[in-house]
Amino acid sequence: MMAGAEKFVEADNAEAIITRIEHKSRKIESLLKQNKPVEALKTALEGSSHMIRDERCKSANWIVVHRALMAIKDVEGMFSSLDPEYYDILMKYLYRGLSTGDRPTCDQCLRIHEKLTERAGLGCILRSLADTVITV
Amino acid sequence: MRKWLVGCFLCCWLWIFLICSLAMQVLICRNEAEKCLIETSINSLRISLKVKQADELENILAKKFLRFLSMRAEAFQVLRRKPVQGYDISFLITNYHCEELQKQKLIDFIVQFMEDIDKEISELKMSVSTRGRLVATEFLKQF
Repeated sequence: MMAGAEKFVEADNAEAIITRIEHKSRKIESLLKQNKPVEALKTALEGSSHMIRDERCKSANWIVVHRALMAIKDVEGMFSSLDPEYYDILMKYLYRGLSTGDRPTCDQCLRIHEKLTERAGLGCILRSLADTVITV
Repeated sequence: MRKWLVGCFLCCWLWIFLICSLAMQVLICRNEAEKCLIETSINSLRISLKVKQADELENILAKKFLRFLSMRAEAFQVLRRKPVQGYDISFLITNYHCEELQKQKLIDFIVQFMEDIDKEISELKMSVSTRGRLVATEFLKQF
């Protein structure tokens, strides 16, 4: 599904995953400084579909994705360069963002959600809500 | 006999697992004050809304207006008499409703309902302010 091998991660690998997420976070910060928000979002979404059961890993990954999402200014432009394979996982993170209740996050998520639904259709929403195996 | 018992036991566990995996909640917030909670189960759906209440007057108007609607829940069929804790109004849509009524029309109804609530509360607020101003003007005329 994602580029690279899909690995089944056990809970005792949580420390390794968190280290990886921190490394990802530094990469994203540097991409944002270079004014590449779409690349930053792609980096943030990569690896999220791996089986992550630990809540700490999910929260850490959410913080990273949130940072990348809030940096997006041009939503239309983002979709022209984002591959369709990222749509489902992006939709899951949008719903997580919408459940936070924080005004700027919800505004941004609603804006992206509208465009993503236009592109990916209602099936994307259904897949992201119905998937109980890979959750964010 | 033993195989049959093990089979029954496994079926029960699968059934409980299925029920737990089918029941889910989705929370969608517009901001801190407005949110929508959708809870699903095997044969029904509960949609709870928290409407915008900018000041004390809107708070009272929303409470009274939505209580008025909830009391007449039978007329709406899909409305719940009591909202879920923490929300202002709740809908309960069961499989029977989906069989009798058209799904698309149900969705349109709920969306229209949400738009109308906001419009209605704004109109009520405006009419209360207008009336208050008129009453105050009349009263102060005598001084």
